[in-house]
Amino acid sequence: MARFLVVVPPLTGHVNPTLAVGAALRDRGHEVAWAGPPGLLPSLLAPGATFLPTNDLAIADPIEAVRERSLGLRGPAALKFLWSDVLLPLARGMVDGTDRAVEEFAPDVLLVDQQALAGAVVARRRGLPWLTSATTSAELTDPLAALPQVDGWLRGELQTLQVEAGIDPAEAASGDLRFSEHGILAFTTEALYGTDQPRPANVHFVGPSIGARPPDDAFPWAWLSDDLPHVLVSLGTLNAEAGDRFFAAALEAFADEKLQAVVVAPPELAPDPPPNVLVRARVPQLVLLPRMDAVVSHAGHNTVCESLANGLPLVVAPIRDDQPIIAEQVVRAGAGVRVRFGRARAADLGAAVSEVLTDDRYREAAAVIQRSFLAAGGPATAADVLEDLACRP
Amino acid sequence: MPGPPSTEQAAAPAAAPPTSDEVLAQVRSLLVDVIGDDFLLDTEIELDTSFNEDLELESIEFVALSERLLERYGSQVDFVAWMAEMDLDEIIALTVGELVDFIVTSLS
Repeated sequence: MARFLVVVPPLTGHVNPTLAVGAALRDRGHEVAWAGPPGLLPSLLAPGATFLPTNDLAIADPIEAVRERSLGLRGPAALKFLWSDVLLPLARGMVDGTDRAVEEFAPDVLLVDQQALAGAVVARRRGLPWLTSATTSAELTDPLAALPQVDGWLRGELQTLQVEAGIDPAEAASGDLRFSEHGILAFTTEALYGTDQPRPANVHFVGPSIGARPPDDAFPWAWLSDDLPHVLVSLGTLNAEAGDRFFAAALEAFADEKLQAVVVAPPELAPDPPPNVLVRARVPQLVLLPRMDAVVSHAGHNTVCESLANGLPLVVAPIRDDQPIIAEQVVRAGAGVRVRFGRARAADLGAAVSEVLTDDRYREAAAVIQRSFLAAGGPATAADVLEDLACRP
Repeated sequence: MPGPPSTEQAAAPAAAPPTSDEVLAQVRSLLVDVIGDDFLLDTEIELDTSFNEDLELESIEFVALSERLLERYGSQVDFVAWMAEMDLDEIIALTVGELVDFIVTSLS
């Protein structure tokens, strides 16, 4: 049997899809371990999962604090921050520990998150086969193609990172740390991604890898009335902090409407909700979604895929990073409507929600994507691709 | 971020190249078109207004702006090529005034 090491950043959305893949591999008799910064990570893994820390605890936690500094950033400023302040420092801090993890666990194959570059560096340096784990598909569309200066800068940074780690400069200049030449697992399908969109040659569209339902968080299920449509509003945990204006617009839009809304937000950011709106800091999203009729989201890939996996149409309000591209995928697929996040207005948000609830075409398009997800296989297909790579002579 | 320009035919250029003030007024109206006039008041768009920080122009709106620039000014104003030469710091700092200057220079 084979041994697989999953290298991940301390980011929930990047870790979650790998859990069901790891479970599938273990069910087939393989050994699986996860490597990444300690702190948040061990609590995300299944009980008993093997975890190999790549950093001291003291270095790991400031990642969240650093990300909080990025709250007000949009567009190119957010891009610069993401690479210069988060991903490249993270890679540098993780390389030695990832190498130790490989030494200790002796994997046959590495599964490397597209934002855990240290895994790619170590795989290349040791000549180990590895796959990219693309938990969001925006990078696959080559979004910097129209900005060659920016693209060149980023490639230069990735080459420097490798050369610093002892990889031969000629090898560093070939291939891409973000896209393994051995293959890319994209946790989406072409129905959402867009059949006409450019993509790297060796992408496997395995579909979302959505975990087993977690234990029921305390949620007032009785509050949900069967007579009204239900809308979930979620901007993702980090963005909720900057969403006060958006939440205010939502509360205003939903007051006096014939619907019930569950808004995921710190209560102080969404004060005085009308009676048909429930504000909760946390919700059991996977258990709640089957009770919903539409989702308002910042277009984070996991929430989008979880919503579409339930056949739900979306209103997307992208903020930064990959979100504008994912939002565009949803709109192009006909499964949702886009609204502006900045200077959000109640009238626009209300109209968009009303449209996706009443015009059946959005739900029908969501159902098409839902069926494509089921057909793609998710964790089982991902495990097949990983097994193939492990068995190649 | 800008995408590929549309292929509509350009309008015939005016007889005399426009002044800076005229172009600013034209760019204001294009931005109102792209962003929506309820989001902006004319007075909010000045030469030192930044696309990223002040207007929070989203990537899809950048694409829409680049299409409207092509429609308005024709291929003399190659917005996409201009953006392609910029590094990240220049894009982050980009102002309406720089766009106005670029248009005026391209048309003169």
